[in-house]
Amino acid sequence: MMPYPLRRRLHGWRRQFPLIWHLARQELIDRHKGSLIGKAWTLISPLVNILVFVLVFSRIMGARLEGFGAEIDQYSYSIYLIIGILAWTAFAKSLSSITNVFSERAGVITKVKLSLKALPISVLIAEAIIYAIGMSFFMVFLWWVDFPFGVWWLGVPVVFALQLAFTYALGLLLAVLAVYLKDIREGVAVLLPVWFWTTPIVYVSDILPEWVMHYLRLNPLYHLIDAYRELIMYQRLPDIMGLANLLLLTLLLAGAAFWLLGRTERDLRDCL
Amino acid sequence: MITVSELHKSFKLFAKPADRLIEAITGRVRHSTHTALENISFQVGRGEVLGVLGRNGAGKSTLLKLMTGVLLPDAGRIDIEGRVTGLLELGTGFNPELSGAQNITTNALMLGMSHQEIEARYQEIIDFSELGDYIHEPLRTYSSGMIMRLGFAIAIHADPACFLVDEALSVGDGYFQQKCMKRIQAFKEAGGAILFVSHDLNAVKVLCDRALVLEGGRIVHQGDPEQAVNHYNRIMARQAEEEEGRLQARQEGAYGTRQVEIRHADAWGRRSGSATLGSGDVLEVVLDLEAHQALDDVVIGILIRDRFGQDIFGTNTHHHCQRLRLAAGERRRVHLAIGADIAPGKYTLTLALHSGDHHLDDCYWWQDGALQFEVAGYLEGKFSGLCRLPCQIALEDSTACPSPSRQEAP
Repeated sequence: MMPYPLRRRLHGWRRQFPLIWHLARQELIDRHKGSLIGKAWTLISPLVNILVFVLVFSRIMGARLEGFGAEIDQYSYSIYLIIGILAWTAFAKSLSSITNVFSERAGVITKVKLSLKALPISVLIAEAIIYAIGMSFFMVFLWWVDFPFGVWWLGVPVVFALQLAFTYALGLLLAVLAVYLKDIREGVAVLLPVWFWTTPIVYVSDILPEWVMHYLRLNPLYHLIDAYRELIMYQRLPDIMGLANLLLLTLLLAGAAFWLLGRTERDLRDCL
Repeated sequence: MITVSELHKSFKLFAKPADRLIEAITGRVRHSTHTALENISFQVGRGEVLGVLGRNGAGKSTLLKLMTGVLLPDAGRIDIEGRVTGLLELGTGFNPELSGAQNITTNALMLGMSHQEIEARYQEIIDFSELGDYIHEPLRTYSSGMIMRLGFAIAIHADPACFLVDEALSVGDGYFQQKCMKRIQAFKEAGGAILFVSHDLNAVKVLCDRALVLEGGRIVHQGDPEQAVNHYNRIMARQAEEEEGRLQARQEGAYGTRQVEIRHADAWGRRSGSATLGSGDVLEVVLDLEAHQALDDVVIGILIRDRFGQDIFGTNTHHHCQRLRLAAGERRRVHLAIGADIAPGKYTLTLALHSGDHHLDDCYWWQDGALQFEVAGYLEGKFSGLCRLPCQIALEDSTACPSPSRQEAP
């Protein structure tokens, strides 16, 4: 038997789920309502993203990375780039949406009883679906260039789940703070590009001097993106210590976010 | 059904938004407090309608928001069995970019309905809202009345155990308001509990079993709706007196030569004893006159206007062939009694002192809207229209329908 409060909480979550799912769906599909091709827009942006990177960096710039067979050499930088870009886009878009989610949905929160903890999950679901679509196109591309697939691919969803958890924890914390401090919103918008360029997404970490690498290990996104690349490109176990530390950080952030929300929810609802 | 006990709610006012966060974390006080609700306790049982009266800022909306769970109380408990829905302000969380149909799904999910329930109720909701093909248009193209119709339709079809109604209902047109009222009545008869917040005193009297009056965040009266309405009116009257400026403006509204003045005027219902009376009551009017010079023929006129400024009834002492002579400096009290056989609504009394049949020759005093009163509910049978006209109805055997006795006698 589960203890009563836990069971009630689980029941509460289950009851919220259809709504969370519906809001995610709306986010994905209904926002394109009225446009000519409607739902197709959800597919087009990840597709175009991938095509651009493939064409620009394999055909036009022809950049090279070491450590691959000759037949895929041409595409290796594209692959390196796409893995990073897809993960980064999912992270950055989710984080900025979640940060603003309370003020954006204030019209609903002040009218209907909604769980503030559940609301960011709808954002995550929507972004996860976009990521999945992007990854599907990416896999089609890999298949087309005869890139070898391995069992290590199974690790990708696990790493992505960790990424979602990290995004949720950090996002919820920022979202609560953003209600009180409008600066948070601007701060996130300004800092995300900085974060992008301090993470090896478009460049290779090997080009960095040793002392920078030391600091780079403090960047949670470095560990995530590195893990995707290890799994997909190098077909080997990623740096488990790094991911374990990230999990610990996620739990700490989530704890802080829940504590802060629990302490301030009454006030927070007052000032929405 | 609804049990509210010792509810407190205060809002913190901060000089800077960051202070709010610092206080929330450190616990050190950095705010001034506005108490919105204090020690609120009441119960609403099955099939019961509780009216909530109170002037603007008395805490009505805060109470409703606490009941829906949108705001959280500082202290006290709210226990509600089952789902709470209601018609709170316009649109209850609608998304203007989405169509009415999409908003039904989203809103119903937010109210806690499952997809199967929504599907089962979907057509009923659309039928009740009478939006027809408009249901597929984006909500931003709707009029406020249409949004209210949709909001009400969803809320009442969500199988609530408790229903909350506030002034949003008054956005709808008369026809739809009636339809909503009927639906609320049916909901009540089916055993639902209703909290009814309104400024429509007549509706409170007709619909509610009990009523409470909020003032400054406290319950100052709880009980029979009739008494509650009177209590509310006393509060409103006090407010009017407190507002010195408004009183002065009303005094300045009087014009004329002021050879004779109305020093004081008052009006009340004979049975109600307050400025709110039932239709069929007698409106008592007392005027204290003071003449500044000797006048031979002073005519006192009175005119009742409705809220549209339409003249409902007027008369004067000249029409009644009563002549009033006043000596210089004389004070006189005049008493009028008018049968208020008029429809429920808000009315004003215009007072006039002049000579002769009309005020165009010598107008001593003319004051538009000098007094106000409200007619709420009917004391003697209902009627339609503006006023009751004397009417007798005789029911006789109709020649068109043959009576049984004639059929028996061939």
